[in-house]
Amino acid sequence: MKKMKKRSLFFTVIMYSIIFLLLFPLVILFVWSFTKNWPWPNIVPKAFGLRAIKYVFSPTSKSLKTLLFSVWLSSVVTIITLFISIPAAKALGLYKFKGKRLFKLLILAPIIVPPVAVSMGIHVTFIRLGLANTFLGVVLMHIIPCIPYGVRILTNVFEIIGESMEMQARVLGANPYKTFFYITLPMISPGLVSAGSLIFIVSFSQYFTTFLIGGGKIVTFFMLMFPYIQSGDRMMASVYSLIFILTSLVLFVVIEKTVKAYYKAENYFYI
Amino acid sequence: MSRLELKNITKKFDNKIILDNINLVVEEGEMVSLLGPSGCGKTTTLKIITGLIYPDNGDVLLNNKSVLAVPVEKRETVIVFQDYLLFPHMTVEENIGFGLKMAKVDKKVRDKKVKEMINLVRLNGHEKKYPRELSGGQKQRVALARAIAVEPKVLLLDEPFSNLDGRLRENMREFVCELQKQLKITTILVTHDREEALMTSDKVAVMLEGKIRQFGSPEEIYKKPATKDVADFFGEKNYIKGTIENNIFKSRIGNFKTTFNKFSKGKAMIRPEEIEIFSKDVDTGLLGKIKKKKFAGDRMYYNILINDVEIKCITKFNKNYNVGDMVSVKIDFNDAVFFKEE
Repeated sequence: MKKMKKRSLFFTVIMYSIIFLLLFPLVILFVWSFTKNWPWPNIVPKAFGLRAIKYVFSPTSKSLKTLLFSVWLSSVVTIITLFISIPAAKALGLYKFKGKRLFKLLILAPIIVPPVAVSMGIHVTFIRLGLANTFLGVVLMHIIPCIPYGVRILTNVFEIIGESMEMQARVLGANPYKTFFYITLPMISPGLVSAGSLIFIVSFSQYFTTFLIGGGKIVTFFMLMFPYIQSGDRMMASVYSLIFILTSLVLFVVIEKTVKAYYKAENYFYI
Repeated sequence: MSRLELKNITKKFDNKIILDNINLVVEEGEMVSLLGPSGCGKTTTLKIITGLIYPDNGDVLLNNKSVLAVPVEKRETVIVFQDYLLFPHMTVEENIGFGLKMAKVDKKVRDKKVKEMINLVRLNGHEKKYPRELSGGQKQRVALARAIAVEPKVLLLDEPFSNLDGRLRENMREFVCELQKQLKITTILVTHDREEALMTSDKVAVMLEGKIRQFGSPEEIYKKPATKDVADFFGEKNYIKGTIENNIFKSRIGNFKTTFNKFSKGKAMIRPEEIEIFSKDVDTGLLGKIKKKKFAGDRMYYNILINDVEIKCITKFNKNYNVGDMVSVKIDFNDAVFFKEE
């Protein structure tokens, strides 16, 4: 009994330390956002001000417009990537075929190979195809680093749920399409949320590839905040970063709640 | 309600023969058991009947028409799988109505049918529950109702009771039997449980290593096993070598009268429960020595040596002898099954 208590105290300490370590940087970002100047070696800012916040929320900075555009772009990327990932993951998770292990490894290639190397070549091709500096071009480029996340997560999901539920639906009279929409999709929906969240984040934080393929014509939120981080304008960078984090967070919570409510998916399986 | 026929079904996986020339006829409204140890191809047979797996050879006939070209969802043959496979995101009602919804049955008709099914499997009050809120027996009944709701031509039950224990298992078995008789659905029950197969079915097909070794009524299968394999599947047996001449069976343990005279040299199979033992004062003309003894509650297992031949014997628990005791043994060779020496 006593040992248990001691142990639980130990874990509590660890848990709160981790939470603190994760959240404290956010607090600093928050404080920086409202700072006017904060010279070294002061522990607290010398003066507070709303310069950064006023700028970011003013129409001239086009921050909110860019943010919405960015969310739209990454959502498109997420949806397309998931559509591609589902059949691929199902094949890798459920079917037996030659070279399956090789394919599983190859799927990870976009993470292993440096994106710079790939995107340079793709850029040249896209110029020829007229896809450079276009929305579609950037979407296609973003899909490449996103695919590994989508396929890997969903492969695990398919491995867990197996094929038996689909078989059951088929013998009860559901054709393959109905089986997919009534059975497979709800069964993998928790996995879709996890995979979708990761894909969204990966696309949302692409900088180099967007810059290269978009050629400065396609401006995402990350590209807007990058110069401030680079130049050391901490107030501006903090405000942008906070918005960046909050956007993804709010989006995930909303999506997860919607999916849960829609499919009444409650802890019947999670990865 | 339909007649099902399997003709020369053969299936290989990775060059390993899983099903070897399976022939089986299930008459309309009949309940047939496919009995065999795990891994003998029973489930594969069911999947071939539904169309989930395509056979390498042979044909599946429903009402004398080949259904091999009919896709799974249109075959109207439903499997109830061992682990029920209820859809976790649907309520009991939605699960039972799933097949009807897929068949585009009108919502009102569907609701009525679902209600009927819920009454039939006695799940009133559980309509809005999710599968995770149900007990094993309840899940089983939902799975059953879901299958019956679509009024399948053939109902296939894949080890339906093996996840239930003890009393519940017996109750469900009885329940399913009654339901099958009441609705007269052509049914195949896959099981590895001998008692289950014998008790529930009109006919039993014993399946060993991808082949159907014997197909007949439960009594026939038990009393007149066609081969040693089939006999052994129903429990340990005694085999006594000997010769038959003029209705006399001659063996190392003695000569006995028998009505059998189809061949002269072979083995007589005697079930352990058919051998009776008495104290040595009773004269049966056959004396044996107890070699081993095991107590199993309602029964006693004895191994008896008669002229160095070891005979297994099962008696009631109240026949108590000690190891080394001499006992009188009574064996009726008229009940024996003879196998020709190979």
